[in-house]
Amino acid sequence: MGSSSKKYKEKEKESRKRRHHSPGYTDEHEPPKEKRHRHKRHHRDKKRDARAKHDYDSDGSDVIEVIPDDEPSGSGQNAESLSIEETNKLRAKLGLKPLDVSSGDKSEKKRDDGKKKDDWGEFYHKPAENWADKHEREKLKGKLTTIREKRQLENKLGKVKLLGDSDSDDNVESWVDKNRKIELAKKEAEKRAKMLEELDEQFGVSEFVENEKKEKRKQRYTERNLKGLRVEHDVDSFAEERDVILTLQDKGVLDEDKEDVLVNVNMVEDERYKKNVINKKKKILYNAYEDQEYDEFGNPKEKSLLAQYDETIDGEKRESFKIGYDNAVERKQAIVQSIKEKLAKKRIESIETKDLKLASEYYNDEELSKFKKPKKKVRKIRTKGKLTADELEQQINNKGIEEVGSRRPKKELEDLTIDDIPEMEYPTDVKLEDEKDDLLEKALHKTRKIKQKENLVAEIVKSTPVKSESEENLEGSIVLNATAEFCRTLGDIPTYGKSGNREETEDLIDFERDLKDEPEMDEVEQEEKTGWNSVDPNEPHESPQIAPQEVQILDEEPDVSTGLGAALKLAMSKGYLDKEQNKRPSNSRLAHLQAKHYSIEDKTYGDEGDRANRRERYTGPIMEFKEKDGFKPNVKLEYIDDDGHVLNSKEAFRYLSHKFHGKGPGKNKIEKRIKKGVQEQLMKKMSSTDTPLGTLNMLQAKQKETQSPYVVLSGNKQSQQTAVISKSRR
Amino acid sequence: MIEITCNDRLGKKVRVKCNPDDTVGDLKKLIAAQTGTKWDKIVLKKWYTTFKDHIQLQDYEIHDGMNLELYYQ
Repeated sequence: MGSSSKKYKEKEKESRKRRHHSPGYTDEHEPPKEKRHRHKRHHRDKKRDARAKHDYDSDGSDVIEVIPDDEPSGSGQNAESLSIEETNKLRAKLGLKPLDVSSGDKSEKKRDDGKKKDDWGEFYHKPAENWADKHEREKLKGKLTTIREKRQLENKLGKVKLLGDSDSDDNVESWVDKNRKIELAKKEAEKRAKMLEELDEQFGVSEFVENEKKEKRKQRYTERNLKGLRVEHDVDSFAEERDVILTLQDKGVLDEDKEDVLVNVNMVEDERYKKNVINKKKKILYNAYEDQEYDEFGNPKEKSLLAQYDETIDGEKRESFKIGYDNAVERKQAIVQSIKEKLAKKRIESIETKDLKLASEYYNDEELSKFKKPKKKVRKIRTKGKLTADELEQQINNKGIEEVGSRRPKKELEDLTIDDIPEMEYPTDVKLEDEKDDLLEKALHKTRKIKQKENLVAEIVKSTPVKSESEENLEGSIVLNATAEFCRTLGDIPTYGKSGNREETEDLIDFERDLKDEPEMDEVEQEEKTGWNSVDPNEPHESPQIAPQEVQILDEEPDVSTGLGAALKLAMSKGYLDKEQNKRPSNSRLAHLQAKHYSIEDKTYGDEGDRANRRERYTGPIMEFKEKDGFKPNVKLEYIDDDGHVLNSKEAFRYLSHKFHGKGPGKNKIEKRIKKGVQEQLMKKMSSTDTPLGTLNMLQAKQKETQSPYVVLSGNKQSQQTAVISKSRR
Repeated sequence: MIEITCNDRLGKKVRVKCNPDDTVGDLKKLIAAQTGTKWDKIVLKKWYTTFKDHIQLQDYEIHDGMNLELYYQ
């Protein structure tokens, strides 16, 4: 026990000793922990107790406890550690070899060598490149090179004399020497030249040389040779007093006939550029308003048809001139011309305005004279009332021509073919009537017409044969009368009533009017004979005037006074009469078609017959077949919908369709139809003379009561309104 | 010589100086001397590897300044 306590005391001492020098050691690893100590005090006390206890326990064990410095102990961050000597002591106690401090250094040294031991043997690891070193080395190198270059440059420049530096021949003597040398050299050269010349003259060489020179000069390519060459640029584009190099334009090897053209490449390029700019600027080709276009000088450009294609068709137009030919006069003229044109085409507008005048409602005399009166239609009156054979002949000839052209109207063909008279007879047998006979002829014709009028209906149907017969009977020759001709074709004329031929029927009755009107009719006929109608441009075109009708919202009410038909129409529109009645085949009209012996019993008879037929299928015919001669049923197809309304064909189709497809109309459609039906009913019930509310009746009653032609409408401003209304009523 | 820190995160943290060719058992004894626990009650771990007593520290590649987890069994 005593030993242990002693030991403890020793330890205490040690620890206390250490306390003095330990902070230096601990400081290396941990930051100072002064603040924490206070916190840990309590804990430390506890520990001490534990240690005290431990002392008793550790008696028998081989555990050697070394309590290190007290203060850092216990904290999470603080690590207890012993010094090397202490550990060595401890290790000695434990039977371990002491810590080898030197060996650790050795190992580190070994590591520095780069020698490594591995399973495969020892090897050196190549140390990585040191970037910093490398960088520094390069820097140094650069510095050295710059210095070297500098030195070289200085050496070089050192040899050159500066302007300010004095020459070597500063002194006058040397300068004089130099000049003298130069002069001497010159003189010598002259001498030598003279000598040579003398020699040449002696041998006659100089003349020969001069001749040669002259010839050479002659052969030289000068302005003369350029004369007549074409330069493809505008003269104005060459600035004065400036040299421009012109080259021969490229041309095909094979086209020799083309003349040489001089061109400056740069100028050509400029021109191309300008053209491109123009092309870019080019607007739409079509100029809707036909504005006059102006060139850059403000002159109106001449317009040709489809000007945009001029260049592609004619080739590009290029300004050019010939060298040596002075066309200054022409150019001047051209300029003058352009100015003239410009002036000519300029519209001059005066600033003066007309005096203001009061507009009069009437034309003055001048205006009246200007005002164009509609010319009265001057009808071409033909003296001849009728077709003569001459004309006929002519017409036939014309027809022949027309037939070739196949432009002949069909109507004419009909006219001719309907006639019984063969065409061959025209030129030979026809008796040519004199014009004197016109009156007589007309009279005769008139009487005949009147006669014919008695059986007019039949006449129209078969007028042609009768007429021709009668004519032939009368005189033994054909009389082609205009009126008769016209009558015949009456049915065919689609333009009935257009050009006054409505009067025709009346003409037939009235002889005297006929006389007057006949020429006109002839004219009409003439027009119909020839396929083409001549139109007199002077004559104001008289189209059949249709009076501009006022289009009413409701149909115009037919005038009842004109007849029963109109009345019926009115009744129908008002709904007094049913339309369907008209549609149905009326019994009265089809009475002759109705079966005489048909009765309701007959229906059953038909059925019985059917049954009999069925029987016959098995038994064979009992009676012989009897045709029902008198069976003429009045068939009437009527469709009736679910509500009992009679349907028209369209509705019936829809009804059947709905049934067939098993799909009815929509709710809205049904409602619409019902509404329509109701409205129709209401329309039919509506009074035709009064409004639905009976206001007219009320008004009349009121007027009767007050015995005045007006009615006072009561309102807020009674007096004013009555005045106004009474006025308007009157 | 290397120095190893051992921490049982319960309040004990020890720095132990030792040789790299010491065994783990030797290390445990040194720790025991410093902390006052019996050496055979000590378990040294690094993550999930428990160090065995008979193996040298250098074989476990335990170097200077390393932290070992200190547990008790």
